Amino acid sequence: MIFGAWLCLLAPAAGFLSILLAGTKLTRRQAGLLSTASVFVAFAGAVIAFVDMLGRDTADRSEVTTAWTWLEAGDFKVSLDLLVDPLSIVMMLVVSGIGGLIILYSNGYMKGNDEERRYFAYMAFFVFSMLLLVESANLLLLLVGWGLVGLASYLLIAFDHHRPAAVTAGKKAFLMNAIGDATMALGLFLAIAKTGSVDFGPVFQAASSGALSDTVVTLIALGLLGGALAKSAQIPLHTWLPDAMEGPTPVSALIHAATMVTAGVYLICRAHPIFEAAPTVQHLAALLGLATLLLAGVVALVQWDIKRVIAYSTMSQIGYMFVGAGIGAYGFAMFHLVTHAFFKGLLFLAAGLVIHRLSGEQDMREMGGLRRSMPLTHWTFLVGTLALVAIIPFAGFWSKDAIISSSLAQGGALGWVLYVGCLIGSLLTGLYSFRMYFYVFHGEPSAKVEAAAHGEEAHHGEGDLSMTVPVVVLAIGATFIGLLQIPGVWEPFQKFLEDVVPPLVSPSTGQEWLSSMISLAFATFGSYLAWKAFRAGRELVSAGAIRTLLEHKFWFDELYDAVFCRPAQMLAALLREQVEQPLVQGGLDEVADGTIEAASIAGRAESGLLRTYALAFAVAVSILALVFLVVR
Amino acid sequence: MSGPGIPWYLAVSAILFSTGVAGVLLRRSPLIVLLSLEIMLNSANLAFVGFSRLHGQMDGQIFALAVMAVAAAEVCVGLGLIVAMARRRLPLDVDVFSELKG
Amino acid sequence: MGNFLTWVVWLVAAAACLGTGLRVVTASNPFASALSLIGNLASLAVLYLLASGEFVAAAQVLVYAGAVMVMFLFVIAYLGGRADAPWAGGTRLIQVSSVIAAVALLAVTLVAVGLEAGDQLSSEADVTRSFGSPAAIGQLFLTDQLLAFEITSIVLLVAAIGGVVLGMRSEAEGDRVPGKDAQ
Repeated sequence: MIFGAWLCLLAPAAGFLSILLAGTKLTRRQAGLLSTASVFVAFAGAVIAFVDMLGRDTADRSEVTTAWTWLEAGDFKVSLDLLVDPLSIVMMLVVSGIGGLIILYSNGYMKGNDEERRYFAYMAFFVFSMLLLVESANLLLLLVGWGLVGLASYLLIAFDHHRPAAVTAGKKAFLMNAIGDATMALGLFLAIAKTGSVDFGPVFQAASSGALSDTVVTLIALGLLGGALAKSAQIPLHTWLPDAMEGPTPVSALIHAATMVTAGVYLICRAHPIFEAAPTVQHLAALLGLATLLLAGVVALVQWDIKRVIAYSTMSQIGYMFVGAGIGAYGFAMFHLVTHAFFKGLLFLAAGLVIHRLSGEQDMREMGGLRRSMPLTHWTFLVGTLALVAIIPFAGFWSKDAIISSSLAQGGALGWVLYVGCLIGSLLTGLYSFRMYFYVFHGEPSAKVEAAAHGEEAHHGEGDLSMTVPVVVLAIGATFIGLLQIPGVWEPFQKFLEDVVPPLVSPSTGQEWLSSMISLAFATFGSYLAWKAFRAGRELVSAGAIRTLLEHKFWFDELYDAVFCRPAQMLAALLREQVEQPLVQGGLDEVADGTIEAASIAGRAESGLLRTYALAFAVAVSILALVFLVVR
Repeated sequence: MSGPGIPWYLAVSAILFSTGVAGVLLRRSPLIVLLSLEIMLNSANLAFVGFSRLHGQMDGQIFALAVMAVAAAEVCVGLGLIVAMARRRLPLDVDVFSELKG
Repeated sequence: MGNFLTWVVWLVAAAACLGTGLRVVTASNPFASALSLIGNLASLAVLYLLASGEFVAAAQVLVYAGAVMVMFLFVIAYLGGRADAPWAGGTRLIQVSSVIAAVALLAVTLVAVGLEAGDQLSSEADVTRSFGSPAAIGQLFLTDQLLAFEITSIVLLVAAIGGVVLGMRSEAEGDRVPGKDAQ
């Protein structure tokens, strides 16, 4: 198991370093293949560890391995520890598996790009960082992985650094994540101060045993939640995710759908003792998830960029996961994480096939009727959409409805609010997903589509094998992986995670099937409404105040700009004028001028006249003689 | 010894020396500067001879002879410079040669 | 009587020395300066004689007045009118400070010597008749002061070579623009 874990962690690192160091000695294809291979090796490692774990008793499934002690200060010790337990294994499998498929897809998608090697190096680096995050056994190493994935995200969003929009988006993502990193670090500091350790064991022990005061544990939980909100793009730190779509499509698939953005959910599940000791914060997480779920859902209704729709959908689905984690249904939240990785990754990759075919066009209004010219893409995209909308028997049905039924089981004011909100969310999901599907694949083909259908791209089929195979694999996954959790029949996933993350709420089988049917009804109704609107050729949200509100994304960006950016810029300008120019620059100028003046004054001694020098001698001699006289 | 004592010799030497210094610093013609230098050297010679008489050692006089030889050498070179300057039609003015300026 | 004569000769020689020295420095005609210097050398020779430095006095007259000053007069003759050096003292600052410097040097020397030496200067040693004679000088030059003797000869050689080099005609014989920053 340990061997598998190390192999999983180090293979992508080796891949990244090799591409980095080999530079141009590797051809672009070779760099791509190396990157893909390293991540698949990581997946093999994760599988080895997984198989080993299955062979053990449930009590024996957690193992910590220490590489070396990094920091020792008195009683405080931090080591490079890896933790392999069911929770981390799930994440490892998802990250390396889906990651490998997406990098394989990139081989075809990024072909012809000038800087392919850099891209593949960054992708391998990202997989390594994410694995570090999920395999770490202490909060500090987790924070290291957290920061590294943020870096990888920035590097990959701003990959096409010639485009100012991409660079700005990268910066925005990085800055917002930095806020999350800061709150996490603060939480860590508090944890170190109060418990003297960063290892999971001692800290969680202290939190759950009540050794920490309420305030302290609430603050730590808030710090961790801040990081989770930033990384997972939940309100209020969500505005970076739609902009992150400036990165290449496989990047959006891997980082901003399948893996990185789910790190927040992983964190809450992993640190659940801390959250359980601070129920206010945990419920806050659920409520914020609900708010994001609804907000993203409605904003997606007015988006025209296909990637933006999927991005808002991601935000919304992660909202579901936060709801699940917020009420303690950790297993279901993780299950939704897994199924979401499949169908969201699938949707992005299939959208990528469309974008690739249309030579970079992302506006849905320019698409239409693609189901005839791109049948494979059409069917896989449909599978993804059905999974997203949670139509039985596709994956989303089992996972999303598990969360919804947990909120029903929660009861109380919180439970009912969440339940109703989630049902509305299902409706919205149906609305925006099928709107997207119909616009892209149904109706009359637009001029661009016609041109593309007869153009060069079409001769290669819908894409290289390297692109179509992962899409098909993900489609198969999206269809069947949900069947790991059939309430009342078999629940291996939940059981697998039970020991590590015992759930707080367990809906009964009856509750599960009831809420599933209700939410299925809502979802189907939403899909039907979308179909009707498309047939009638009108938009779901008619023009007017509501539409403006949605198009401006509830004016979050403007709000942040006014509250944070403008004052910061004004302060900077003010400081520059009042402080830097006169004091710093002025000071330097004064020094320079003063030196020049002093030099010119001193330069008068260098008159060049011999006599002046002789005079200097004479004066010096007389002074010296005087001195000798006095001193003797 | 009859006549004035050594302090008188030294006084004359000192006055001659400062006269020479004033000449070096105040005149612009290199020729006059050289002559003033000679004055200074001679005053030093006088002091040497005086001290030699005071202590009864001949070394002072030896050194005075050496100084004379050096003065001759120096005059030779200095005059050579002046002649070279004159031949190149340069003005014979120490203030003109200010290439050490700055 | 002898003492009185010595004193008179000494004072006359000293006065001549100082007077000619002053004239060297202040004359505007370089020829006058050179002649004054010859007078200075002569009076110095008298002073040397009175201090038992016979050989030095003789050398002074022969070498200095005889050879060096003749060289000077040759050059002045060669330069002709160009050698004229009117009193041009430089800036006011330089003039004043030069005078002050000279006076300061004088004062310091006198004071220093007076204060420090004081008593030691009053008692002269007794000397034999051979003090200051050529034999004694030769004796020292070839034994104790051999190094000075040899180095002096080298210095003279170098100066002779230097003089020849400076006197050689070079290509750049034409008019050369004098320094632009003439004060």
